[in-house]
Amino acid sequence: MKYCRIILMFCLITITGTASADNLIAGDVQNYLAYGAIVSMLLLIVIALLVLVRTFNVLTKVVLKSEGYTDAQIQAQLHPPKKAKKPKGEVWNKLLSLRPMAEEKELLIEHDYDGIQELDNPIPGWFMYLFYATIIFAGGYLLNYHVFHTGQLQYEEYKTEMAQADIAKKLYLSKSANQVDENTVKLVTDPEILKAGQVIFTQNCKPCHGEHAEGNVGPNLTDDFWLHGGKINDLFKTIKYGVQSKGMPTWEKQLSPKQIADVANYIKSLHDTHPAGAKEPQGVKDVADDKLASTK
Amino acid sequence: MQPEKFYYDNKIVRNFGIATVLWGIIGMTVGLIIAIQLYAPGMNMNNQYTTYGRIRPLHTNAVIFAFVGNAIFMGVYYSLQRLLKARMYSDWLSKIHFWGWQLIIVSAVITLPLGFTTSHEYAELEWPIDIAITLIWVVFGINMFGTIFKRRERHLYVAIWFYIATFVTIAVLHIVNSMELPISAWKSYYIYAGVQDALVQWWYGHNAVAFFLTTPYLGMMYYFLPKMANRPIYSYKLSILHFWALIFIYIWAGPHHLLYTTLPGWAQSLGIAFSIMLIAPSWGGMINGLLTLRGAWDKVRDDVVLKFMVVGLTAYGMATFEGPMLSLKQVNGFAHFSDWIIAHVHVGALGWNGFLTFAILYWVIPRIYKTELFSKKLSAFHFWIGTLGILFYAIPMYWAGFTQSLMLKEFTPEGMLKYPNFLETTLQILPMHMMRSAGGAMYLLGVIVMAYNLARTMMQGSLVANEAAQAMPLAPANTVVKEKSWHRTLERKPIQMMIAALLVILVGTFIELMPTLTVKSNIPTIASVKPYRPLELQGRDIYIREGCVNCHSQTVRPFRSETERYGEYSKAGEFVYDHPFLWGSKRTGPDLAREGEKYGNAWHYNHLMDPRLMSPGSIMPNYDWLISQTLDTTTTRSKINAMRTLGVPYALGYENIANQDLDKQANEISDNLAKDHIKVKSNKEIIAIIAYLQRLGVDIKANKTGNK
Repeated sequence: MKYCRIILMFCLITITGTASADNLIAGDVQNYLAYGAIVSMLLLIVIALLVLVRTFNVLTKVVLKSEGYTDAQIQAQLHPPKKAKKPKGEVWNKLLSLRPMAEEKELLIEHDYDGIQELDNPIPGWFMYLFYATIIFAGGYLLNYHVFHTGQLQYEEYKTEMAQADIAKKLYLSKSANQVDENTVKLVTDPEILKAGQVIFTQNCKPCHGEHAEGNVGPNLTDDFWLHGGKINDLFKTIKYGVQSKGMPTWEKQLSPKQIADVANYIKSLHDTHPAGAKEPQGVKDVADDKLASTK
Repeated sequence: MQPEKFYYDNKIVRNFGIATVLWGIIGMTVGLIIAIQLYAPGMNMNNQYTTYGRIRPLHTNAVIFAFVGNAIFMGVYYSLQRLLKARMYSDWLSKIHFWGWQLIIVSAVITLPLGFTTSHEYAELEWPIDIAITLIWVVFGINMFGTIFKRRERHLYVAIWFYIATFVTIAVLHIVNSMELPISAWKSYYIYAGVQDALVQWWYGHNAVAFFLTTPYLGMMYYFLPKMANRPIYSYKLSILHFWALIFIYIWAGPHHLLYTTLPGWAQSLGIAFSIMLIAPSWGGMINGLLTLRGAWDKVRDDVVLKFMVVGLTAYGMATFEGPMLSLKQVNGFAHFSDWIIAHVHVGALGWNGFLTFAILYWVIPRIYKTELFSKKLSAFHFWIGTLGILFYAIPMYWAGFTQSLMLKEFTPEGMLKYPNFLETTLQILPMHMMRSAGGAMYLLGVIVMAYNLARTMMQGSLVANEAAQAMPLAPANTVVKEKSWHRTLERKPIQMMIAALLVILVGTFIELMPTLTVKSNIPTIASVKPYRPLELQGRDIYIREGCVNCHSQTVRPFRSETERYGEYSKAGEFVYDHPFLWGSKRTGPDLAREGEKYGNAWHYNHLMDPRLMSPGSIMPNYDWLISQTLDTTTTRSKINAMRTLGVPYALGYENIANQDLDKQANEISDNLAKDHIKVKSNKEIIAIIAYLQRLGVDIKANKTGNK
């Protein structure tokens, strides 16, 4: 019992500890600890119950003995003879409300088809209950969605889903530093950011603009010529909204503002790298570069 | 009265049996090939005729109509004669039926790889074959009812009720879903468009499962299982209830294939409600079957035929419980378009149809050859490898379905899709697809072993082509005393029974189809949606020919995860000129409903030539033949005319100038491609399909771009 108490104390400490140490332990780790605590508590309860049962047994024996019962009488009290176990088949029969095989002869319909006979068994009650239950469910379903309008049909469901997502998104963004757009984006040369931008470039831009941005289906991004402006803000805008007439997709839905800024900066960093097989210039010359933001 | 002597026709049973095995092996081999193509696109042998989009319909048609179809006829021809104590009505009709059906299958094997397809799932065959199917089905009907009329058994046994319901319902389904306007020998347009076409197709598609894969097999189960186990049918009353309930309710459930589409909400809900009510009537068959085995379970231990039956019935019970669960819209929104559905149908097809067929073959062939099965060991091997095959097939597919759907629906806290690139989710499930093909290969191996075993059985015995039997002739109908119940009376009257079954299935058909087909307000039109330009129409027909619809859907459901990924959800009015609809039922690749103007023409050109250029790792096959093949513009006139007949508002006389417009648009695209240094003549097929892809879903955007 002493050990039990120690374990219990330990669990309590872990739970309260994790609750107060909000910033020290990551959310999912906290969750795992909590699951562990819950499972061990449940195990503890089971152990406690077993111990209690055992205690009652012992207590009964002691009490009965003190009242003058013999050992045999006590045994009889504690372990009453088990009822004869029904054969397995009969349990099934009862569960499925089937008539015993022995009565089958009475149920045979006298007719046969190519030797196949049929029994006149009633339809099992549980089968009918299942059928009725599904009919009630179906009726309830139609009432719910089309008479009482308590359930949402698909377009209302969609509105709700979008509204909820919007709330969650705003809440998250208000807390994070992810809010950057075409007006606030800054040119940086932080190698971390450029590296992140390169990964995004390889995943998404390479097929059209080439591995080194030399241009393929899309234009060369390393020269002085730009179709839609060469400032970091212009790049951000082009990536974010795309240029439908030229076949540049919108990336707004696929890349986060932070990611767009990263990849735009990466592209800016490729300027004048003169990759092999560079595509001929397209658009107008735009070298009036934006000011470099102070690198942190 | 003297008993009459007559002979059962076993030869026709044998022929259908052999056809079952041969087509089964072919259909499953094609299935294995396309399963491998889903992770090794090169398995199409760089050949358009063996590419996924064209031979996936060949796989489904071969296993449904060739393997299962021939098995049905084998089972029906064997059991019908014996249940009615009569030889088939006409040996000639039997022969016409057999060879006609094989010819239809051969024509499918030829036309589907050639790209002649209507694009309606499980009804891909073009109009001339549709007519042939109708004729052969009528031959089957005459032969069956002819036999019923000359029967020596007053009452029709439950198996025959199911055969009658099958015959009459398949006839109705096939005719309504084959309403096509032919424009040439191998091309036609469905008379329905968009939502209406979708509703008709899935009313058909769902009930092809019900009345081709289910009711005839229940009928066969009712004959063969009691014969195999030598036990009486558990409950005659349950037979009556579940037969009528099943055929009445099944016909309503089609719309559950179209949940969250633009199908009117009431129709979707009816489909869901009736699917749930279908659980008990479906299970009625399984329960009656399993309880028939009461007292014979010891035989199951060493009789492989009964083992096949038990696993088959269990698979049936699992699939018919899973089906209603999948039709609940909350589950469906997650499972639809994913591999979960592939797992679901294969539990039914491999377990229920496959295993019942094998059991019947193992039981019938030795009997009509008056011999024992060649090898019990081999049949036991077949049972175990088949069962394992099903597990190895289904479990990875469930896993793949869950994984991909979860990935597609996952958002980051910033409110962005976690996996915005569809391809990422595809690559994630490739290992499961590899495992699936291993499962399929195991199952196929079992069938090949069975074929060998049955061939050796046939060689060691000799066919009793005409099996002698005798029975008392029927007393004239009017001399029989009054029956105990109304149903017993109905069992004496085959025509009335057929009419009753017909009426029962027509109730749901009318209530569900009629309002959508006739009431205009069910499909709100959109002013900015215009008919396709001629080049786009030709491109659309190439899209149909290549079977793109087998992997790409064209309907965006109203879910955040879909509108963020693809754009605005689809509206009914967008599809009013779509003969046929191309919503699809599976997303192996991304949805294309809003594909238009998403990428440039050059992107599409490169992507069609070799998808891996633009999407590294893609499993889409190369469509390089579209670059070399020249577009056939001689059909433009008849296509425009046909579309106008179907109600698409092309101006009168437009067919005369349609090709001028086609050339104009084609030149614009090839000029645009030239800017990206892609030199391609404007008369190539790839130009037409790019035109079509760039048109997809843009009409509805027209309203908004005006404001920009």
